Amino acid sequence: MLSKLLSSQIIIYHCILFFSFSLSVNYFVDLEIVNYLAYVCFHLTLIYLFFYFFHFSHIFVTFLYAIFFDIFLVDSISPHLITFLAFVVLFYFTKKYLLNLSSSNVSYIIFILTLIMFISEALIANLQFNYPINFENFLWIFITFIIIFYPTLVVFSKIDKL
Amino acid sequence: MALSFKVKAISRKRFIKNIFLSFIYLLSFLLILFSKSDYIVINKFKSISNTYLHPITSFVTTPLKVASNLQTQFYEFRNLKVENKILKEEIMRLKKWQALAIHNSSENRVLKKLLNATNNNLSLVKTASILTRNDFMYSKMVKINAGLKDGVIKEMAVINHRGLVGRTVDTSINNSKVLLLTDPNSSISIKTISNENHSLVRGADDGVHLVSAFMKDEKMPKVGDLVVTSGSAQVFPADILVGKIVKIIKNNFYVLPFVNFKNIDYVQVVETK
Repeated sequence: MLSKLLSSQIIIYHCILFFSFSLSVNYFVDLEIVNYLAYVCFHLTLIYLFFYFFHFSHIFVTFLYAIFFDIFLVDSISPHLITFLAFVVLFYFTKKYLLNLSSSNVSYIIFILTLIMFISEALIANLQFNYPINFENFLWIFITFIIIFYPTLVVFSKIDKL
Repeated sequence: MALSFKVKAISRKRFIKNIFLSFIYLLSFLLILFSKSDYIVINKFKSISNTYLHPITSFVTTPLKVASNLQTQFYEFRNLKVENKILKEEIMRLKKWQALAIHNSSENRVLKKLLNATNNNLSLVKTASILTRNDFMYSKMVKINAGLKDGVIKEMAVINHRGLVGRTVDTSINNSKVLLLTDPNSSISIKTISNENHSLVRGADDGVHLVSAFMKDEKMPKVGDLVVTSGSAQVFPADILVGKIVKIIKNNFYVLPFVNFKNIDYVQVVETK
């Protein structure tokens, strides 16, 4: 069990998660695109990790990341925590159906889930803390997401073969 | 016997997992609830995570920070010639203003003596530099390297050479978080320089302007009016420059702050004398 948790791929994914988290919470005024890339990459990696390397401890890791995202980006706990935990519940109770799907279907589901996560985070932040939905930010996130989605999955599949 | 042991082991494992999941959800519910009610535990937790986790994330992103600085330096170097010309013109213009300012200053001093007026009501608590910025997605906040040990407490005004920057919202021993004016949840009471219009403004949806939230006597100021803090909410000292009214849309006026929030390096934490 421990060996599964400490396999080289999972360590790499956790490094990617931490690095993209660090980039997301430190704003680079002159390299704003890096923040968008990191933010998108974090969500994508987290969902991918759940689909292909699910371990119960990942729920706790997700919980921690959600809290820290909320503290650093929103300064109040809620949008990321609710969204991430809703995803965890959804995945936990449907994983036996999801894991039987073909890889192309899984990638479609990852695509849709990531988009839903971005939208729900913004909606919760708007409803609970009055943060307006900034369409320019959203547009950048969507463009970045669409551009990096396929290459990221290709890189991840290479990492899986390590 | 072996089968029943295996079944028991599986059900026990599942039971522990369900307990763990329930615990995580209960904890999340409590965290959200306490966060909403501004409970002291959450504030402590925020302070601790800001003190210990943020330096680690900053360290991880150091290469990007270096790259970002190099890019800025490269652009500055490329525009050096044009900037030099602009600065020469600016020096000429400022020399004329300096002569006028010296004259006005001495006149002001004499008039103040005649009227027995009090002097500047601001007292400097600490000059600090920006450590990290968290104004990427939702809240507009920056972290400064001044905290409780420097006398910085919550709800103190933060300014720079251009005007009002924001207010401190969370302080730890060494650092503080500053809520910028442009945050939608930041509300400040302002008045026009002519002292005719008093109103409340908050961060607009575009993240650049401030928009009026309340106007006393429904008096609409004019485009081009300069606005300063009114000092009535007791958080910000009176008469600190805020910005200029740039547009009026549907009974709301928009203020463009004087401070360039994309380019703040040093700030001053001040309080009323």
